[in-house]
Amino acid sequence: LYVPTIVVKKEDNRHLLFALSLQVTHYKQYPPNTSKVYSYFECREKRTDPSKSRKVKYDKTVFYGLQYILNKYLKGKVVTPEKIQEAKEVYREHFQDDVFNEKGWTYILEKYNGHLPIEIKAVPEGSVIPRGNVLFTVESTDPECYWLTNWVETILVQIWYPITVATNSREQKKILAKYLMETAGNLEGLAYKLHDFGYRGVSSQETAGIGASAHLVNFKGTDTVAGIGVIKKYYGTKDPVPGFSVPAAEHSTITAWGKDHEKDAFEHIIKQFPNVPVSIVSDSYDIYNACEKIWGEDLRSLIVARSADAPLVIRPDSGNPLDTVLKVLEILGKKFPPLENSKGYKVLPPYIRVIQGDGVDINTLQEIVEGMKKHRWSIENIAFGSGGALLQKLTRDLLNCSFKCSYVVTNGLGVNVFKDPVADPNKRSKKGRLSLHRTASGNFVTLEEGKGDLGGDQLHTVFQNGKIVKTYTFDEVRDNAQLTESDY
Amino acid sequence: MAAQEFNFLLATDSYKITHYKQYPPNISNIYSYFECRRKKGSQFSEVVFFGLQYLLKKYLLGQVVTEEKIQEAKVFYQMHFKQAVFDEESWRKILEKHDGRLPIRIKAIPEGTIIPRGNVLFTVENTDPEFYWLTNYIETMLLQMWYPITVATISREFKKILAKHLKATSGSLEGLDLKLHDFGYRGVSSQESAALGGAAHLVNFCSTDTVAGLLMAQRYYSCPMAGFSIPAAEHSTIISWGRSREKEAFERVLEQFPSGPVSVVSDSYDIFNACKNIWGDKLKERVMERSQDSCLVIRPDSGDPAETLIEVIKILEECFGCSLNVMGYKVLPSYLRIIQGDGIDLSSVDEILQKLADEGWSAENVVFGCGSALLQKLNRDTLNCAFKCSYVESNGKGMDVYKQPVTDPSKGSKRGRLSLRRNSDGFLETIEKGAGKPEEDLLVTVFENGSLVLDYSLEEIRKNARLRDEETKG
Repeated sequence: LYVPTIVVKKEDNRHLLFALSLQVTHYKQYPPNTSKVYSYFECREKRTDPSKSRKVKYDKTVFYGLQYILNKYLKGKVVTPEKIQEAKEVYREHFQDDVFNEKGWTYILEKYNGHLPIEIKAVPEGSVIPRGNVLFTVESTDPECYWLTNWVETILVQIWYPITVATNSREQKKILAKYLMETAGNLEGLAYKLHDFGYRGVSSQETAGIGASAHLVNFKGTDTVAGIGVIKKYYGTKDPVPGFSVPAAEHSTITAWGKDHEKDAFEHIIKQFPNVPVSIVSDSYDIYNACEKIWGEDLRSLIVARSADAPLVIRPDSGNPLDTVLKVLEILGKKFPPLENSKGYKVLPPYIRVIQGDGVDINTLQEIVEGMKKHRWSIENIAFGSGGALLQKLTRDLLNCSFKCSYVVTNGLGVNVFKDPVADPNKRSKKGRLSLHRTASGNFVTLEEGKGDLGGDQLHTVFQNGKIVKTYTFDEVRDNAQLTESDY
Repeated sequence: MAAQEFNFLLATDSYKITHYKQYPPNISNIYSYFECRRKKGSQFSEVVFFGLQYLLKKYLLGQVVTEEKIQEAKVFYQMHFKQAVFDEESWRKILEKHDGRLPIRIKAIPEGTIIPRGNVLFTVENTDPEFYWLTNYIETMLLQMWYPITVATISREFKKILAKHLKATSGSLEGLDLKLHDFGYRGVSSQESAALGGAAHLVNFCSTDTVAGLLMAQRYYSCPMAGFSIPAAEHSTIISWGRSREKEAFERVLEQFPSGPVSVVSDSYDIFNACKNIWGDKLKERVMERSQDSCLVIRPDSGDPAETLIEVIKILEECFGCSLNVMGYKVLPSYLRIIQGDGIDLSSVDEILQKLADEGWSAENVVFGCGSALLQKLNRDTLNCAFKCSYVESNGKGMDVYKQPVTDPSKGSKRGRLSLRRNSDGFLETIEKGAGKPEEDLLVTVFENGSLVLDYSLEEIRKNARLRDEETKG
């Protein structure tokens, strides 16, 4: 098999190559005289067998991340002669055949100066919408470019990721809000109760940026620095930064002192950061001994001298999360007697707190706060860190994110199209041109088959023929995604 | 040359900015290592090492520190921590003393190596005593190695299962490397992950629709074309003809692609009807006209994968007949095959092939497509990937260090300087506490002071990762 050397340019010119291979061949498969292909995106509803129901339902989703994709991959001049040439060569080798639509792409280059003749309408970013509703639509605006709509499917469907991270993060916020309200009577500090620890556990730098930004829609604590860059570049905030962190130890900064010098490590670190919160991982050898003897006795005087703005935050990092948290609180409670708050729950003195950052996902989070409540500990005592579960342990299937064609124009006639596989009613798609409306009771409903043409469509045009025509700031996104009282 | 726009100083967990203040005084060397920890009950006992070269070339090579980047980081961290904690001076020293190149040495096993869990895969240490803090500054980035390692490992597990069934039901392994097609592009979290995961799959197979992976293999692993695909339909190209014209849609695909294999998704409305009445009747002659090199590959895409497949193959047998191969298993005519690309993971692929074999069908009849189970449904805990400090030098003295949490013995880390050797039984083992003999050490320097020392090609990597004879037997 002769495989010639292909010289690939240094610049990141993937635009023509971001389609799935199979989509390269689709321009030949649509009905002849097709002049428009219209598709939409939704988080499908899934009617599951009640016996199989998940603990968390995810009835509504947070719409987020389209602006990143539009800016980074779709806007402006995305086609050049060099890119067409590169794509042609790559696809020839990849298919061992000439199937690439060079003519179609050259047309776009010449007629539109390489801008994509596509229109995208979407619900405002940050909107919280029930499953089963249209979230955005895509249609080709030039009859010659009917095939373009589904060429961009692959890249647009990757919006499943920021949507899913933001949605899952927000569901955790609801849990924290509910228990904070019950055990403390207010929501103070909620925005810092779930800290992003996920940078190392995601699949790439790019994913880290997108995912971390999605978490920051709901919270303000993060160690995944990449997310802040994404927000700054693609959304913008009125504040200088949308996310914060505190000095914290890791195992190497403790173990580097040697096994017999854990106390020296703790002492050194706590003294380095006298006036800000400092988190110190304490399970390198024995978390219970560290809490009882080292923090509770040897270094007690250093801790009680700290102000409420600069607590020591003890971090366990192994063992069963709930059991470990409860045992740590019990030990600390003996050494640093708690007070009872207005709701009758115990709160440690303000100079000492706990952060649980191991094994935290939406289910264990629920277990821990419920367990703390049962043992009469206020959620004021604790913050959480989450890594893999926050940013990586998610798939497109969690919210059934799907992009489907619902309408085409062939021989001048519009046709409502859909799939409806006999073996899976959940996979049925919507028909015709779609719009999203609010009902009198404030709920959302999707109208199909062009029935919503009379107005009130919550979908706004955000992208048109290569230009971004509507943008949202991150502040607007956060506003739209806020919890309402009914959420907790 | 590492990516220009990318600010290396901002590519770490926030808390690591504060670590230079936390290490013991007079520390001059920090040595850390990466492993896929052993975990009782895990289904994966060995891993494929892959992906380090991508990280080195993209992010670590050459000059990664500039004055602009130092300034950007300084301003950022001031706001992020609401105080000045960033170690501006040390970064400037790297710029002045080392032209902004990283004074780091990384030693690693060759890419593509198959290695049991619980062994050191690579080590990192600073080469200039002033920059001891740098070793763990890059942990965050290097730990992302979990991803290409895990994809390559899972992809290879698929290959073992496919090989086992193919060998048992056909007597040969022909076409094995086209048996699992990557469908995962849309279901990963980003373009970059698609490229990395897509390339990792190509260590074991050469069948993919994730074009980004091809480019990654080209740019970072010197492989001009690492994977192939065929023209295929998707639902929109079928349903756009309208419900009553599924046959016309099918026909169009066949006539547009007369030579070469072509895949047609057939479940838009009723997969069984499509197989029986359209492919098996109305278009039967068009199908039979096609040669082995231009076969029709029918794609179901809903319902229970195993049951749907069995029913589909039975319908096709009725309409087109079949023959027996040398092992006595049934094979559809050479112009007809099936691709199952929905609901595929390690256990379903084994189950499906077993069920097919039980019904007398060869694994030659089916090809598989896999999306999220290949590229997204995995995480750092799948193989327990960890990066830990095992040795430091302070006041001129070396000390083996480790963690050993009483609350979880499996989280204990290795001690001292490490090396990897093949023992007298031929098995790979890690020697701790600096006790290993340098001449036996299989870890080789791949990166030093900003330069790439070795350059692996995908060809070499594929060779290292190929299945061994005993792995094709099951």
